[in-house]
Amino acid sequence: MDTLSSLQQLLNPQKIAVIGASKSKGKVGEIVFRRLMGSRRRLYPVNPKEIVIEGHKVLADIGSLPQDIDLAVITISAAAAVNAVEECAKKGIPNHIIVAGGFGEVGEEGRKLEQKLKNLTRKYNIRILGPNSLGIFLPDENIDTIFVEHGDKALDRKGKVACIVQSGSVGVEALGYASNTGYGMRAFVGLGNKCDLDEIDFLKYFDQDKKTNCLGFYLENIERGREFLDAAKKTTLKKPVVVLKAGMTETAVSAVSSHTGKLAGSDNVISGALKQFGIQRVYDDEEFCDATKVLSMLKQAPGNRVAVLTAAGGYGVMCTDFIEKDENRAPLKMAKLADATKQKIKEATFDFTACENPVDITASADDRMFSQSLDALIADDGVDIVICIAFFAPPGISENLIDIIAEKTNSSDKPVIVFTKYGPFTDNFIKNLYFAGVVGYPSVGRTVRAARFLVERARILKRLGQEE
Amino acid sequence: MKNKIQNWVDSLENKNNPDEYESKQLVRLFGIGVPEGERLSPGSAFEKTSIDPPYVLKVCSSTILHKTELQGVILNSGPDTVADDRNLMQKRFPKENILVEHQSSFTGPEFIIGIIKDSALGHAVMVGAGGVFTEIYKDTAFRLAPCSVADAGDMIEELALSPVFDNFRGLTLDKEKLAKTVSAVSQLADKMGDKLSQLDINPIVFCDEEWLALDVKVMLEP
Repeated sequence: MDTLSSLQQLLNPQKIAVIGASKSKGKVGEIVFRRLMGSRRRLYPVNPKEIVIEGHKVLADIGSLPQDIDLAVITISAAAAVNAVEECAKKGIPNHIIVAGGFGEVGEEGRKLEQKLKNLTRKYNIRILGPNSLGIFLPDENIDTIFVEHGDKALDRKGKVACIVQSGSVGVEALGYASNTGYGMRAFVGLGNKCDLDEIDFLKYFDQDKKTNCLGFYLENIERGREFLDAAKKTTLKKPVVVLKAGMTETAVSAVSSHTGKLAGSDNVISGALKQFGIQRVYDDEEFCDATKVLSMLKQAPGNRVAVLTAAGGYGVMCTDFIEKDENRAPLKMAKLADATKQKIKEATFDFTACENPVDITASADDRMFSQSLDALIADDGVDIVICIAFFAPPGISENLIDIIAEKTNSSDKPVIVFTKYGPFTDNFIKNLYFAGVVGYPSVGRTVRAARFLVERARILKRLGQEE
Repeated sequence: MKNKIQNWVDSLENKNNPDEYESKQLVRLFGIGVPEGERLSPGSAFEKTSIDPPYVLKVCSSTILHKTELQGVILNSGPDTVADDRNLMQKRFPKENILVEHQSSFTGPEFIIGIIKDSALGHAVMVGAGGVFTEIYKDTAFRLAPCSVADAGDMIEELALSPVFDNFRGLTLDKEKLAKTVSAVSQLADKMGDKLSQLDINPIVFCDEEWLALDVKVMLEP
């Protein structure tokens, strides 16, 4: 079976064996099995110490499993997991997720165990995700093997971002952030130690996946670096690829005698390489989520001229500062508004409205004024992106504003990004915006940064288009 | 090109450790401009040269990295003084070759172009603000080799120094030609393969409508 077909089977299995499934609360085998019970797939728990879990008959050993299992999730500890995989392989099970740590990441003993796993993949022609994998989570397929709490209910179905992460906790926190504020997750894959399946396999899979429109990677090492970059470049022609790369690459400079060697500092090389191959780089989990969210939900920006609509003067000025700041990722500039636009806004609002960009319609504004001003800005040919600073505290502004903005965002070719805050309710507002189809952030800096991702994406496509 | 590179490797005086003269020969194979020069071995006769004056004399050794600090450079030599200057230089470095070159005049900033080998990603090419302070400015951009002329153009635009190409103080520097040179250096790395460890062209300057590599250091893998 080729890699794409086996990944298809791994990510959407019909019959799943859970090795080490348990009734004891809090055990990995218990959590994974409980999550999979929601998946409406055929489950085969295996554990010599259990007889029945939640009505599922537990098999005493792997040998008792039927022949046509698609996936085995191995929830037992390292050394036992290696034996379990071999037994599963003998049983003809093609795909395995190994949750346990204690392999290559802990030293010589672990490395030996991991080598054994590698040998098994060759000997039996099986695929392994992990070890030390956080698991997989595909809301649309109703598949979830993630053994930590991640607020899956809040992650909307029909999400389009494929997140492929190497580390456990960074991945979990990204999931947490995503579910707190609304985020369209197509798939979440924990790569772990990558003894077999790695980022390139999943890149190629989600490149082809029709439900994915944006790919995000958290990587600590890229073993087949050039191969990954070449494959990612092909994907970026169709879908944005975002990479959070932690840990510096080592630059093999035999004796650092050249100026270039001293200047390379190694992270500079990876930064340059990612740009060269059309990959958008981010630096932490928050930026990772911010970038993939906006790239997945909004069209690329037609240009870099930004109009700012605000009901709060201070934030309008702050926003302008962020826009005009010299940033390497992609320069933005404040749009120069047409006279007709200013006239429309004045007519819709007050005589005293400051109609130069940023447009400040003040806290006296109401929903209608906001709506008509937004219309005027979107219609202006000199505007490529609109940043809406929406506050819900003023008496004239209601929560209907969310739907008003949503309607315009969904019918406009120009991206509209919202910055909002409301004390302890901030996350809820961001989430409600998301459910209405609007990209929102709780800080000015992050909102402007999101606009840069869209402009950067447009520049990448332009560059790749020139090379075609 | 493979043959030319092999011939160049075979011709090295000190195997695996090219000196400045030889390093310049290598980059010239890839169309990168270098000043006209002559390498004199110790004890060889030297009266005059057909190279246009003025001259710069440099100690030409694969083991001396910082020539200036060791008084290994004499600038502004003329047809009448070049023989004496060569003798003076030879006294300072009795066992080393001496390089006599046309001393190019230029206006505008010095750039650096370099190659390093990354253990994970292979050769990378760099362009940056060059000269003796290059490691202080740290104004650089990198791409993997080989890189296209368009990529090289992006690299130059990333530099803090890049506004010098916008007619800064009346300077007319050719950005496109510099991008072509950066791309050519990246091709060199690609063609040389694993043999090449590091390369520095520092400085490279704009002189008579061409980018000219005034100093080149090539380091090969042992």
